[in-house]
Amino acid sequence: MSDPVPLQVLKQIGSADHVEGLRSLRDQVHEQMEALLKARPVEQFNEQLNEVHDALIQRSAALAEAEMARLGKGSPPVPYAYILFGSGGRKEQTLSSDQDSGVVYEDPVSDSEEVQLYFKELCEMIVMNLQQVGYPLCEGNVLSSNREWCLSLTEWGMKLDKWFAEPAWESVRYLLIVADGRCVYGDEKLLHLLKDSFFTDMLKSPIILKRMLENTMRHKVLLGFFGQLLKEQYGTDTGSLDIKYGAYIPMVNAIRLMAVQVGIRETATLERIRRLAKAGQLSDHEAAVYEQAFRLFLRLRLMTTEQKNNGLYANNGKLSSSKLTKELTDELKSSLRLGKKLQRAVFKQTMGRLT
Amino acid sequence: MIKKTMLALGIFTLLFPVAAFAEDPSAATLNMGLNTLWVMLSFILVLLMQGGFILLETGSTRMKNAGHVAGKTIFTTGLAALIYWAFGYGIAFGGDSAVNALFGWGNFFFDPAVAAGEGDSYPSTVFFLFQLAFAAVSLSIAWGGFAERAKLSSYIVFTVFFIAVIYPVVAHWIWGGGWLAEDGAQDFAGSTVVHLTGALAAFVATVLLKPRIGKFNKDGSANEILGHNQVFTALSVLLLWVGWFGFNAGSTVSVGDGFLGFVAFNTMLGAGAGGVAALLISWAMTGKADITTMLNGTLAGLVAITASCAFVDPWAAVVIGLVAGVLVYFSAKFFEKIKVDDPIYALSVHGAAGIWGTLANGIFATQALADKVGIGTGGLIDTGSWKQLWVQFESVVVVGAFVLAASFLVLGVMKLIMGFRVTEEQEIIGLDLSEHGAYGYPEQMKKAGQNM
Repeated sequence: MSDPVPLQVLKQIGSADHVEGLRSLRDQVHEQMEALLKARPVEQFNEQLNEVHDALIQRSAALAEAEMARLGKGSPPVPYAYILFGSGGRKEQTLSSDQDSGVVYEDPVSDSEEVQLYFKELCEMIVMNLQQVGYPLCEGNVLSSNREWCLSLTEWGMKLDKWFAEPAWESVRYLLIVADGRCVYGDEKLLHLLKDSFFTDMLKSPIILKRMLENTMRHKVLLGFFGQLLKEQYGTDTGSLDIKYGAYIPMVNAIRLMAVQVGIRETATLERIRRLAKAGQLSDHEAAVYEQAFRLFLRLRLMTTEQKNNGLYANNGKLSSSKLTKELTDELKSSLRLGKKLQRAVFKQTMGRLT
Repeated sequence: MIKKTMLALGIFTLLFPVAAFAEDPSAATLNMGLNTLWVMLSFILVLLMQGGFILLETGSTRMKNAGHVAGKTIFTTGLAALIYWAFGYGIAFGGDSAVNALFGWGNFFFDPAVAAGEGDSYPSTVFFLFQLAFAAVSLSIAWGGFAERAKLSSYIVFTVFFIAVIYPVVAHWIWGGGWLAEDGAQDFAGSTVVHLTGALAAFVATVLLKPRIGKFNKDGSANEILGHNQVFTALSVLLLWVGWFGFNAGSTVSVGDGFLGFVAFNTMLGAGAGGVAALLISWAMTGKADITTMLNGTLAGLVAITASCAFVDPWAAVVIGLVAGVLVYFSAKFFEKIKVDDPIYALSVHGAAGIWGTLANGIFATQALADKVGIGTGGLIDTGSWKQLWVQFESVVVVGAFVLAASFLVLGVMKLIMGFRVTEEQEIIGLDLSEHGAYGYPEQMKKAGQNM
């Protein structure tokens, strides 16, 4: 990036030699970034912010590896990929996103239990490091320290087969999570292999699309019958708008569903939209307006109410009405209308594909 | 076969000669008997509405107050019967006083004749019971404003003043030959007399008591304090709905030519329209079809059609119900915005819809029906005249002002002398325990209490 500040920070992060150092770097970056939010185009801002997040996570992982070695547990016995899911996977982390992670490692030739134990300990350390850097744990326990999400390539393959074979609510949710997986540290090739089996399975069981559709459409765009914004009615957030679940997530879901149907492997939503246009799934005009709407959602999401809980960066995903100017409201309404249109289009397209 | 029948009949005639030769009752007596049965049945239906209020108020509030909320309704209904007998009936219908325009006087400690007199269309006993049940309904509406934080003793004091004076005075003005009746105010079964009166008392109570702990945040935003049992609330609406046929159709107080059927017919339409409109408006406004709003809308439809059920055509009943359903949604939002805590939506359901229903007469009443009932004239649409609408407006304003003033006086003085609200500790523990010493739901509440 042309901006010298992040570049310098990225360098500092890359050479930090303890977690406390990472934490203070993150705090610094936050102050700088918050000031930049208004000054910079959102896409660029988002990109820089996620580069910083990636760097922090990479460094946390590297520090954990070093710590393992220092404790006499050696270096990784086989290559592995540290995967981010959720907003991290989509390169759409806010200033306060939580951890959603997993690990895929190469099938061990020798003692698999020992290998498994190594990664268990390593991941516990990475997750702990990240917590100290201010990333809250994933509430759904989608964490590399959870055995279910830290598997060898073969184990992952079996797990995916199982999820595809039995598309219950939970498995569908997990498959959607995997679709957003991105390798942030380690051997990227391993994630590619994992995604290979994901998309092969996908072709074999088209019914999964219907289940994915049902799973993701429950988040409704917050636009009422009269075209009004559906705001919070009660509580301390009265009058604010749930940008995360009422605007951002519905659009992420719709675009993801379109993308996985045609085998697009990009995880970032804007990137997916561009790919969809290239693949002829969206017209150039559609792609342009959807991109614009999504940029607005990204920007508003970055403006939602921050809460700091026990030193962890958190966020309730809701935009206070005081931040919604008349102009912004109008822009938001037309973008939400587009979001609604997109949802309908995806619904029709997906159901059409199945019949 | 025929032979046998004839023989049997012959034998019966010999055995029971009275049956064969007794004098037929006169048409007037039969008519009186039918009226009596109808008014008595209506009284039973209206009294049963207390069951609706028990479930409505209990379902809309929290578990820790359930026993108190339910029990006090029975208690105050009983107390109301005694007070109305001793005093209230005399003020409402007791007979001419020196200032008959303002209140009646006489027949205190009512001692009725045991049967209907010559030429009466029903005995005064059933009329008393029917009117008493109305007073008790109005009282139970007022309790909405007391819910979850008023002392038990305040219920007793308010019952005495409300049933002895406040309600009877309004009833006298409109139904007992008072000055609004002279003006031709139309309120067939009590949108104003019963519902608005009760709602305004509830308003005064809830203002004087101040909101429940936890209802509003420091920044002024409201929290939703959900009732503990929506099934109770829904069942309460059904009970009230059924009871309402006694309330409205019973207000014909005669069987006559079957006009009561028309009144019931309009009542049904108004209720249905209210519920449908409320559900749709909440769906459109918030994106979710809210059950509580729909239930309130059904009740609002009933409240609104109460004044006009005998005066309007069926299409107008539907319109009146639809407007009431929409009105109740916005009214509830409005009261929340001005930080008035209305736990069971009494102000919106009985107040706003009561006002609308009363005014609706001035718009939708037809001349033909006004003539049939014998009160007032047709409304704006049928006659093009604003006269009836003005009378309706006048009755709402005057009754409103009187009830507000009288309730403020009674409750305000009571608040000064003996206190109105329980302590913060008692409110948090719940009135079941603080006022009565036992929980309505012992198993559940003991468990919750251990964490306190």
